[in-house]
Amino acid sequence: MSSLIWYLYEFARKSWAESFAVARTNPEIVETPDRFRDFPEVFPEHCISCGACTAACPAPNAIRLVRSEDTAEEEGKAYPVINHRGCIRCGFCAEVCPTVPKTITCGENHLIREEFTILPTDRMFVIDDYLCIRCKKCLKACPVPGAIYEEDNKIIIDQSLCIGCEECLNNCPVKGAVKGIFISHIQEQKEIINLVVNTLEESIERKRDDITHLSDEEVYKFDLSITELVERARSILANDELILDTFQKITDRLKLRIVTWDEDKCKKCRLCVDECPSGAITYDEKENVIKRDTKKCLRCSTCYQTCPFGVAGYFVSRFLLDPTSLEDGVIHITVKASQLPIGAD
Amino acid sequence: MILPIGPIHPALKEPVRLKLKTQGERVISAEIDYGYVHRGIERVMQGKTWQKGIFLAERVCGICSYVHTQTFAETFEKIAGEKVPLRAQYLRSLTNELDRIQSHFIANSTYFKALEHETLFMYMLHLREPVMDAIELLTGNRVNMGWNVVGGVRMDAEEKHLNSIYQIITNLENEYDKYVEMFDEGPLVSLRSRDVGKMSKKDAIKGRAVGPIGRASGLKHDVREDHHTYQDEFDWKVIWRKEGDNYARTMNRFDEIRESIKIIKQIVENIPPGDVRTKIDIPAGYTDWRNEAPRGEVSYFVETNGNLIKNISIRTPSIMNIDVCGKYMLQDVATVADAVATYASVDPCVACTERVVILNEKGEKKEFDGLHNVKYLK
Repeated sequence: MSSLIWYLYEFARKSWAESFAVARTNPEIVETPDRFRDFPEVFPEHCISCGACTAACPAPNAIRLVRSEDTAEEEGKAYPVINHRGCIRCGFCAEVCPTVPKTITCGENHLIREEFTILPTDRMFVIDDYLCIRCKKCLKACPVPGAIYEEDNKIIIDQSLCIGCEECLNNCPVKGAVKGIFISHIQEQKEIINLVVNTLEESIERKRDDITHLSDEEVYKFDLSITELVERARSILANDELILDTFQKITDRLKLRIVTWDEDKCKKCRLCVDECPSGAITYDEKENVIKRDTKKCLRCSTCYQTCPFGVAGYFVSRFLLDPTSLEDGVIHITVKASQLPIGAD
Repeated sequence: MILPIGPIHPALKEPVRLKLKTQGERVISAEIDYGYVHRGIERVMQGKTWQKGIFLAERVCGICSYVHTQTFAETFEKIAGEKVPLRAQYLRSLTNELDRIQSHFIANSTYFKALEHETLFMYMLHLREPVMDAIELLTGNRVNMGWNVVGGVRMDAEEKHLNSIYQIITNLENEYDKYVEMFDEGPLVSLRSRDVGKMSKKDAIKGRAVGPIGRASGLKHDVREDHHTYQDEFDWKVIWRKEGDNYARTMNRFDEIRESIKIIKQIVENIPPGDVRTKIDIPAGYTDWRNEAPRGEVSYFVETNGNLIKNISIRTPSIMNIDVCGKYMLQDVATVADAVATYASVDPCVACTERVVILNEKGEKKEFDGLHNVKYLK
């Protein structure tokens, strides 16, 4: 009881009321160091809504792109919003932001040089118009509005908006209609493609005797093991994903045309020499022989269609990679005679 | 009688259960239960790009977070077959040593807390504070620094930053000898520390003890001996002791701080000019890399397809150190209070230990006995 009275007495004093009225928290004495990496700062006016920051963020739901409402006058602006509960302040979003000046800055990270501001993906996605069936599943699956659009009954991917999320590739029902092209190691990819095409051509060349005697309805099949091919491709570039991808693309789309040349039937009429568009077929006057240079040949089938005696044979081969792995994979090769008309004109 | 301590208990830093088999006050043997803070961080990293992975690697451990990013980056640099510029290597070593100093201070302060010597506990934290300030000055953050990237470090250090770090380190060196003396010659601490929780060199080898715990028992091994920067650039030596008791473990850390100060002074004096970051193309590959964390050896096993992390396995030092504590140190300890102090002297870090639970064929929890048990590495 006495303590209560003492408290009442204390509160009733004028000096207490005065000090209570002017009471204030002490000023902040903690200084922020000059390199302190606070939560990222967003400048919405610079944003191009590329989505690079959201794709790069390692923390789930820490950053997302939002869009303010559209009005009658103009479209709403898109800009990133940072959730302070999810953000781990790593500054990676500021590092990948491609805009100048930066939409997102985080500590001193915006001073990082230009060449590091890249998205962590090395594939470019394009649509093969020849294979595309216009089902528009890629268009519905794409998370970036406007990145895939339809124009003149064609589906097109806008490369400036694409964030490389692979959603279009995963949702496409047609094999090969959407292609993820590796944009790095272009030269090595060319070398691997040449290597595979040359090897396939050589393997067919070795079976030449069987192929020459094929009738119109007959189909000739044989398999080629890719073990040695993979070893040589790995010596060019040690990236298994890229090698497998290249192999698949080649075998899906490649149709190799073969011209065989039976000199015994030749009557030296020299009709083919004039018709050949690349000058691969020549006439040697001294030896009285028609020669064909395989390196110059375009496999256009003009000689086959011109020759009245059936000297040139024209065949088409197709390929299938099976199973789709680099270990113990084989390529099934099918060769059949062409259905083109002979002896035109 | 079996006396359980934990998983939530004021004597323990983090959730782990100590089961002490006691006879009266005397501790006969001990068993340790893991698995209270399993987070599956290795599984989370799989399928992410390596640019994102480094930020997750930083979150494996709370105190020695820095060395995880360095090991992660150096593993990928080994896959690419490249080395970062010399200035970046120096800056990495500088941060690594500052991190080692603060980690050793907090380890010793926890030990003094377990001894109920609160004065030294507060003094250790008081000494740690300027080191944390130095880390903040250099990298911008205190614990999770985000300072390493694959290919170098994020920012360059300016002359004024290096000078103030040198100032802080010199002040620390002048000051901290008297606190070490308080521990070294104080009768009370010495009674509670000497000949308590002894582990012989043989046991340390059998239990694969690493870091200051192994070195206090006579294992003269430090992973920094094999690291190219430490090998080529700095003049330093491995600290080790023979006693193998709580006193040796604590003093080993104190002496290592002195060695770290020596390395930091060399770094600030001899740091070369140049780039701090290079762009590195990562090919597909599989490799491993080891580094000396404040608690001991940390090793990373990484398989990548050039862009994404396919498999990653992290081995942190605490798993072995906590294990040898239960198996060998807590055999025949005089009192329960000494057992808790012995456990604290190991500097246990449960957060970095429990990324993964190893099960046997029946789905029961299994004792960790070497990496060959990990499924992915078979």
